[in-house]
Amino acid sequence: MRRLARAGVASCVALAIAFGLVYFVRTVDELGDDAETHAATNYDDREFAGGNSLVVDKRALYEARAVIPEDGDYRLVPGPRVEGATELTEQYIDQYARYFLMPRRPAPDAEWIICYGCDPAGLERPATVVWDNGAGISILEASD
Amino acid sequence: MRALLGLVAYNAFLLAVGIAVLAALRGWRSWSDLARCAGLAYLLGVGLVGVALTLELVVGVPFSMATLLLTGAGLVVVALTLRAPLARWRPSLPPDRPGGLGFVTLAFGLLVVVCLEALFRAGRLAGLSAWDAWAFWVPKAKAIYFFGGLDEQFFRELANPTYPPLLPALEAGAFHFMGSADVVTLHLQFWFFACGFAAAVAGLLAPRVSPFLLWPFLLLVLVAPRVAGRNLDPQADFLLDYFFALAALLVALWLVEREPWLLASACLLMAAALLTKREGLMLVACLVAAAFVGSWRHRRYAWPRLGLAAAVALAAAIPWRIWFSSRDLTGELPAAGALALFDHLDRAWPALDSALTALFDYDLWLVILPLVVVAVLLAYVGGARVIPTFALALYALTTAGITWALWAFTELELPFVQDEGVNPIVRLSGSLVVASAALVPLLLDAAWHGSDGPAEDRS
Repeated sequence: MRRLARAGVASCVALAIAFGLVYFVRTVDELGDDAETHAATNYDDREFAGGNSLVVDKRALYEARAVIPEDGDYRLVPGPRVEGATELTEQYIDQYARYFLMPRRPAPDAEWIICYGCDPAGLERPATVVWDNGAGISILEASD
Repeated sequence: MRALLGLVAYNAFLLAVGIAVLAALRGWRSWSDLARCAGLAYLLGVGLVGVALTLELVVGVPFSMATLLLTGAGLVVVALTLRAPLARWRPSLPPDRPGGLGFVTLAFGLLVVVCLEALFRAGRLAGLSAWDAWAFWVPKAKAIYFFGGLDEQFFRELANPTYPPLLPALEAGAFHFMGSADVVTLHLQFWFFACGFAAAVAGLLAPRVSPFLLWPFLLLVLVAPRVAGRNLDPQADFLLDYFFALAALLVALWLVEREPWLLASACLLMAAALLTKREGLMLVACLVAAAFVGSWRHRRYAWPRLGLAAAVALAAAIPWRIWFSSRDLTGELPAAGALALFDHLDRAWPALDSALTALFDYDLWLVILPLVVVAVLLAYVGGARVIPTFALALYALTTAGITWALWAFTELELPFVQDEGVNPIVRLSGSLVVASAALVPLLLDAAWHGSDGPAEDRS
């Protein structure tokens, strides 16, 4: 039985070495491709990364960062009116904005409003457009 | 470059804490012995600092660079203070074996280094693509970094509010050392975790098993497609797997060697696992149960000690549970209750089928789990009993635990056909695959020698 067990051990080791070497070459190759892809990415795409699948216009969130103070609040109102929106935009843009704009906080009564495809006329408070990309995304500041 | 240097400093800080812990629990005989244990020391430091930061956050200690450094310094002082009282439980360490690294170690070690180097280059400029990473893991870390604690708003509104904050706390620590919330360079923190795990497994097994058994399986796990492709994602899955796998290895070694430092180290890593993800509770429970099964023949000696280790680990997790329970945050258990699965018996077989399909998926994990099955059988055939019984119980119980999770969370669609990127079963099954890097060499060694005992008992 000991001989059988040792033969089995040798077989397992051989199998592990075979698969390990084959996939070592493949893994190093693929990781190298990933490294090249990441290095070729521009700064914006690298910063947005996963958000590229739903943000549509990066300028909107960059502009929001610029105008909303770090200790400020904002309200993101999604809607269906964004040109070029993906199937993920309306449902998840608030989550992505929450991550991207931190330490700014989402708040229901915030002075700053990011209208992501919403109808600005339907906002509860009158607001002044601070930035507009002309394709359904705008940043507004509520008027008192 | 500043961020990268800051991250290096951070991980040196974690290593320093871990070395102090190692000094208290085990000590080292020589500089080469310390170098060999550096990976384990590093992950002990990660685990202990993570647990300490989590407890501090729960009680409301403001999170800052100052408290981070003071925490580390405090842990070092405590560890070194305990060094003398713990002296009688430290092992008498054997002298280093003569001769340097053999050809097999050098060759495979070089392959592992090349693999890790490629991983570094891939992660160096990676963006935050993983959905869960930007949806809640990194935002929680940012909240701790920016607001100095468990911000009530963000920790209530972000997804999975009951997930423990160990990883976000560690990430926030990385942000402080880097000087900003650099989510690109953050990927390399997970590279350090991966390196630490590989070094820990190699360091623990090198004096105990043949390099022919150690290195091929370590390399095989590192190059498994799912491991190589996702272990730099700033999520908690692989960190949990590393804690679990190392704890399992340490428990397995303790079952045959009975050195107290092995169980104490496992206890610390189990506490860290409990505070990394909610699945940590399931994994640690399976690990402890498997240890009880594996030590049946020596239960009068082992069971009280295992029970104590489990109780200490669990005690570290209680404050967090009190924190989220007191705020009525839910999601820890299935919505219909843990036992509601008996109302959905039709899900039992699809759940088990999905779990086994994920575990044996070649495109994810290659032939690792089939090799585990063979290794357990060979260990029994060879005449070993403790190690294969422990391993069999661990894999069986954890598979049952994964099946329970799929069965009980009735909102999960079964059978699972979704992409592996959004498939929770894949994440759950990773723990057993990563543990295989540590346990398969031990099983095959037991099969080869025909016994479980320490090498010196085999003459």
